[in-house]
Amino acid sequence: MFSFKIEKYLLVISFLSIILIYGCSKKLPMDKQIGFDSITLLNQDSSQVVFPDEYKNKILLLTFIYTNCPDICPMTTHNMQLLQEEVKKDNLKNVQFAELSFDPERDVPSVLKEFGDIRNINYNNFTFLTGKEADVKKILNNMDILALPGDTTKTESGNVYFFTHTDRIDLIDQNGRIRNEYRGSKANIQEIIKDIKALED
Amino acid sequence: MIILLSLLTFLTHSPKIKIENAWVRPAGKGMNSALYFNIENSNTKPDVLYKVSSPVAELVQMHKTVETNGLAEMKQIKSVTIPSNKTIEFKPGSYHVMLIKLKRDLNVSQKIDFVFYFKKAGKINVQAEVKGQ
Repeated sequence: MFSFKIEKYLLVISFLSIILIYGCSKKLPMDKQIGFDSITLLNQDSSQVVFPDEYKNKILLLTFIYTNCPDICPMTTHNMQLLQEEVKKDNLKNVQFAELSFDPERDVPSVLKEFGDIRNINYNNFTFLTGKEADVKKILNNMDILALPGDTTKTESGNVYFFTHTDRIDLIDQNGRIRNEYRGSKANIQEIIKDIKALED
Repeated sequence: MIILLSLLTFLTHSPKIKIENAWVRPAGKGMNSALYFNIENSNTKPDVLYKVSSPVAELVQMHKTVETNGLAEMKQIKSVTIPSNKTIEFKPGSYHVMLIKLKRDLNVSQKIDFVFYFKKAGKINVQAEVKGQ
């Protein structure tokens, strides 16, 4: 009789442990609501995109770039392309990719289009975004993205400046909540794919 | 005798500074790009890379990307010393040659000409391929 009770308890504990382990394995480290109302941005084709509404019920990988960046932002964009390929290969549905420029003065839609075209971006589920400076700033501030213009360099045809900036990709879930963030230029593709799969379930 | 002379000529002219795996990022006219490569110095003394030039950009500068607490920034560097019997990598997220205000589009597979200037080895011509990375 006594041993039967112990067996029962052990069974219940084992069952609860399995639930706990399974639950923890799906848990992502962040759960932060994007804290701003709808903001109208423009994509690379000059079409309006209402952010974040456009991505409701979708999983979004969002990063922040400027097209004059010669080193870090192209690395991040390349990682986003690798992620896009991996998502397609794994047949993961409902995943979107977006890159918001923190340099809207220079990064008008046509410039973003050229930046994407020369890298053979597949625009099926990949969008470049820009907008009014005040709107872009609102998003950056809310998402803790820093982009500080540096010294100006003179060239034959005019001046050029570069940014000191946050190097990050954000993973945003179907409810507009930030669930994880990664170093954009050195992203671990498989880690991000694993997190996307956890959100898909 | 001829063999000995040939060997001597080869040894005196064999490149002691080798630049390998040179590649450039694609970018449009008026934009910026970066050149990456490895420099191998098989001399017994260090050498210094102090300039890189190319007709493809209005301005060519050496930079290093530094990341601190998730913030990335680039710092211009005047020269890079390559110690004897060492290889220095110019790679994404680290040392790179910045091509500022491109005079034309750099499309994947194109070959771009550069001249590297070393204090001891002098001028070395290098061709780099545009790669979509």
